[in-house]
Formats: sequence, structure tokens, C-alpha cells
Amino acid sequence: MIDTILEVQNLKKHYNPNGGIFSAFKGKENVIPAVDDVSFYIKEKETMGLVGETGCGKTTIGRTLLKLTPATSGKIIFNGTDITHLSATQFRPFRKKMQMIFQDLDAALNPKMRIKAILREALTVHSRLNDAEMDRRISELLEMVNLKKSKLTNFPNELSGGEKRRVGIARTLAVGARFIVADEPTSALDVSIQAQVINLLRDLQKELGLSYLFISHDLRVVELVSHKVAVMYLGQIVEMGLAGRIANAPRHPYTAVLWSSLVDKKSDESVKNEKNSKEGQWGVFDFERPYAGCRFAPRCPVYHAKGRPEICADPGLSPQLEEIDDAHQVRCYFPL
Amino acid sequence: MMDDPVLKIENLRTYFYSRSKQAFSRAVDGVNLVLEKGKTLGIVGESGSGKSVTALSVMGLVTAEPGVISGNIGLKNNGIQKNLLQDIEDYVKITNDNGRIAEVSKDNPGWQRHIDRILRGVRGKEISMIFQNPKVSMNPFSSVGQQIKEAIMLNTPINNPQEARQRTLYWLEKVKIDSPRLRYDNNPYGLSGGMCQRAMIAMALSSEPSVLIADEPTTGLDATIQSKIVSLLGELKSSVGVTTLLISHDIDVIKVLSDRVAVMYGGRVLESGPSTEVLAAAHHENHPYTAALLASIPTAQQIRAKSYLQAIKGDVLDTINLPTGCRFYARCRQVTEQIKKQCKYQEPELKEISTNHHVRCWRYFDA
Repeated sequence: MIDTILEVQNLKKHYNPNGGIFSAFKGKENVIPAVDDVSFYIKEKETMGLVGETGCGKTTIGRTLLKLTPATSGKIIFNGTDITHLSATQFRPFRKKMQMIFQDLDAALNPKMRIKAILREALTVHSRLNDAEMDRRISELLEMVNLKKSKLTNFPNELSGGEKRRVGIARTLAVGARFIVADEPTSALDVSIQAQVINLLRDLQKELGLSYLFISHDLRVVELVSHKVAVMYLGQIVEMGLAGRIANAPRHPYTAVLWSSLVDKKSDESVKNEKNSKEGQWGVFDFERPYAGCRFAPRCPVYHAKGRPEICADPGLSPQLEEIDDAHQVRCYFPL
Repeated sequence: MMDDPVLKIENLRTYFYSRSKQAFSRAVDGVNLVLEKGKTLGIVGESGSGKSVTALSVMGLVTAEPGVISGNIGLKNNGIQKNLLQDIEDYVKITNDNGRIAEVSKDNPGWQRHIDRILRGVRGKEISMIFQNPKVSMNPFSSVGQQIKEAIMLNTPINNPQEARQRTLYWLEKVKIDSPRLRYDNNPYGLSGGMCQRAMIAMALSSEPSVLIADEPTTGLDATIQSKIVSLLGELKSSVGVTTLLISHDIDVIKVLSDRVAVMYGGRVLESGPSTEVLAAAHHENHPYTAALLASIPTAQQIRAKSYLQAIKGDVLDTINLPTGCRFYARCRQVTEQIKKQCKYQEPELKEISTNHHVRCWRYFDA
């Protein structure tokens, strides 16, 4: 499997909000399964989209993959090497290849460093270059991300959102990344600038053969850039498959609900229908009690339509991710 | 026809002084807007185009110097006409240099006192506002119900706490918060983002304002929650019928909710008209900027074909170094050789190209 760049097997990341030295005395375990048994792989030059609502564990997956936070269990295999338990020094050569574009533009760039210093820092961490080479490399990077040279002397707060985003991308390229976790790269940008950034990311993929894990809650953008898409709900992947099929012929009720909620698809009629439909089914999320059967059941339209079948709510059972079609997996007893 | 304007903004200018650049940032530069009774006016534009500053200027919430320096904001309620920027000339001294504003001096403390006096009965009462980030806009130490009750007791004739509580529950129900009696005692952090936004909307509407300003009410919410809030606003529009100024950079939201649209860029309105006409993709008679904005939204065909998006080249206008000509000139793709000179050196006026549809572009002027 030479062309698989990243493989994730049964990855789990549990947070323990009541942790601490006295937690043993408190008795009951109160674990939040932010990422629960997630497996997928990404091939070279491929983009995988990861969608889901706020708090479903998208960003946690990204951070765990890059070992920014340790995994609770499971395996992360990068380029054929198991990196899950590598020490910081052993991981260093891999860090060069795996990078992240962070969601928060302003928090990701040091406000007291000029753009040139930010890029220079990224270059010196992983390689030794003399000044002339450094300048050449920096202008190369600027050209790659279409940033004006005059911006080098500016501070991050003097740049617009799109420019900051491009500096962030340039920084990941500076170290020679081949796999990039793009965490909501367009969420803070206007449509016009969003289009620029998306075009740039796709150009870079073509030129440099990058692979992306593209995390976003903008469904249209995900569908546009991704080859395949995984839909997450409460820490689990509920559906995974080719982008076009997930968007146009979803099989999991959650995916269907998610895609039908795109604002522009709404005609006045559907707004009216919604008024008549039952209100309670979109209750608040409950991460602390997810184990009772299918996690989506309380909000699931199919569950309600089928007259609440017992199997969905059975606390002892939970649906598994099953292959129902060629390269299309769904975690549901009653796929659409 | 503009027969019944509730809020009329004329020639509003709001500037900020940038100390490091020793120059004025012209955030809002001569904006004219009209809100008709019971209608929704949407403002779209990229970030930095002056949408939010316009809203803040109306509410008198711009505190940076020099802030609002000229204009008229007429508010008409129950037949009483008020100018929210009355006597602003007394506090601002503007020095012109070749027709451009070179220097502004403003007595800011005096102005602040003056505008607070004018707006005392207006802010939160006649004009209320929904802010972008609901969690930050609410007091974290007090329950949601308490906060709405407080607003009701302040801004409506109701001054009996029991009655105010009933009224609060009525509004919480109206914005479809499930089990309002339970939520009444929740603090803002106990609510999800969408719920919190609903509570904000309830608070804004509870004073039964004549104008509601919604500043990016759906930004930062998930797609599913976003569409819920949009349909809620749509419903409230028909049931409560409040005049709304809706600000968003999400064109889809504006398209669904507003009757008229103003497209802003670099502190100016470049186009205004009925939303069906301005934001229709097939409609060709609009400003190049609007056309470019619409084209940069991924369409269904583009997604299916995985084709490139049509980005607008370059970045949002720097409001400090404004060009002498059309503000969109540097990024415009529809400049022809014929009008190039005009575009570059002379700014066009708004021109009516069809009923109530104005465009600020040289393409619509005869050479």
C-alpha cells in the first residue's frame, strides 16, 4: 500500500473533565469520547473532507493525527510507519511532512513578528540555510501563495484575512509538508476571498502533490474540494464515501439532514413544512450520555418515522460502520 | 415607492484616525439608506466594507475617534420625526482640501454626552440590535430570563415583575426555545450557540422596537442551526412585522430574508435595489462587484464538475488610501477601453437603471 499516505485505525481520544489527582476518590468515571473508534485512510494527492457540527470531534481528530494531543488508543500510520507512540525526537522528521493550517487566523500568527520573521522561523526550525538561500526560498514561497513581496515587512495585524491565511499556508509549505490538516481554512473569510484560498489549495495540490484532511462545516466547500468525505456525529464517523455520492445520494439520515439544511436550497415551501414538523427532534446535543444505542436516534427523522424501533435505542447495541456500496460506509440500521 | 420610510440614513460618514499611518480610515463614506416600514433591507459586502460600522453609527455605539462626522439619521415612529444626529455640526469641524476632507476635529466627550441624550429613549427601545456573537453579548452572571425581563421592564410600559416574567416567557416561546420555563433560569453558558442566538432575538424583540438591526445573526453557527435561525427570522418577519436592517456577508441568507439589498464596498453603497433583482444570478444589469461576488459562490455545477471558482482578484479596499476614481476599479473585470479613464479618475454617481434599482458604475452612463 505504497500510495496510502496516512492510515488511522480505531483511533480514540477521550477527555476526562474530572481528571486530577483526586479523581480516584470521586468514584464514577465521567469520560467524554471526543473521538471514538475512528478509522480511515488518505491516499497521496487526495483530499478527504471531514464535516459535522461544532463539537463533534473534527478538530480533535486533526490535532490527534499530528500528535498535538496524545491519542487514547488506536494507531496512526504515516507513510508506512506507526507514529502513534513515537517520542518527540523520533517524531521530528515526520513533523516536517505533516502540518496544520489552523482555524484561528489571528491566534496562529505571532502578532509581534513581521511576516518575514514568521516564515524565516519556519524555515530555520527544520533546516539550515544561509541568508542568500533563505531569501531565495522565501521569495519562492511567496510566489507559490501569491503574496506580494512588500508584505514581508508588515505585521500580521496589518494584513487582511485572506493574506493571513496565505501566510499560514506558506508556513506549512516552508518545511516541505506533504500532508496538511486544513482546519476550517475558509470559515473566517468572505466568499470572494474564500474562492481565492480554495483555488490556491487546489493548485498547490496539483503542483506539489499534497494530501489534505479538509475539516469544515461549510458543506459546499467540502464537496467541492474533497475526493471523499467523512461525516461525523458525536465522535463517530457515521458515513464515509465519495464526495459526490455523499452530497447527492446520502444514505445516513444525519447526512441527509445536514445537506438539506443548506440555506439556498430552502424555498419558502420547505420553511413552511418545517413549521409543521415536530419541534422536539432537534434537541441539544448530549455528549455525556452518548452510549445508549445509536447516538443520532434522539434527533433522527427515520427513527421517529419508523415508530421508534427498539434496536435503535437499545443501550447494549450500537450500529457499526458497514460497507453498503462500493467504497461507501454507513453506520445505520436503516440506511436511506 | 418609498412612501413610508421608518429609518432614513443620509450622507453618513464615519471615520477613524489611524495613528500609525497618520491618516483617516474612511470606514463609512457617504452612505444613504432607506428602511421602509415592515420591510427588510439587507446589506452585503466583504469584511471591511463598512456594513457593521454603519449599524453601530445608527446606534451611537462608535466610540473611536473621530467616529461619526456627518450625516442625517431620520427615525420616524408614530408620526414623530427625530434626527439621531441632530446638531452634529456643532461638534465637528471639517477642513476641506480640494473637495476632499483633509482634517477633522471633533469634540468627542461633548458629542458623546449629546448623542447619549438623544438616544436615551431610542437605543434598545425604538431600535434594538442583535449582535454577531450571542454568547459574548449576554451577561454571563445572570440568567437568560432575568436579562430579558430586565429589558422588558426598562423599555416597555410593563413594570410589574410578574407580568414581565409572563411576557418574557411569551417571547421565549415566540422564538421557539424548547421548554421556555426551564430555559428561563439557564445562564447563557448553559445554552447552545443557536439557543443563545434565539434568546438574543427574543430580547431584541421584547421591547417591540420599530427597527431591528441584525448584525451577522447567523455567522459562526453551524449549517443546521443557521438554517433554523434563518427560518425563524423569516417567520418572525411575517408574524411580528418588524422593520429590519439585516447585515450579513452570507448572500444566501440575505437573498432569503430581505426585500431590498444594498451592496457596500469601501464605505460606499455601490448598488441598491430589490433583492430579487440585485441578487439574481441570471440578472445581468448589475454592478460588476455584485456580479463578481455572486460568481464567487460555488454553484451546483461547479461543485459537480470540481471546476475552479471565480475569485475576485486582489484584496478588500484599503479605506485609508482611497482611489480617486471608482472604488472597485482595481479589482474590476468589466472595465472597457472606452470608460477606463473615467473609471480610474472619476467616481460615478448612483444611477437609477430600473425602478428603485441604483447602480454606481460608469457602464450605465452614456459616454
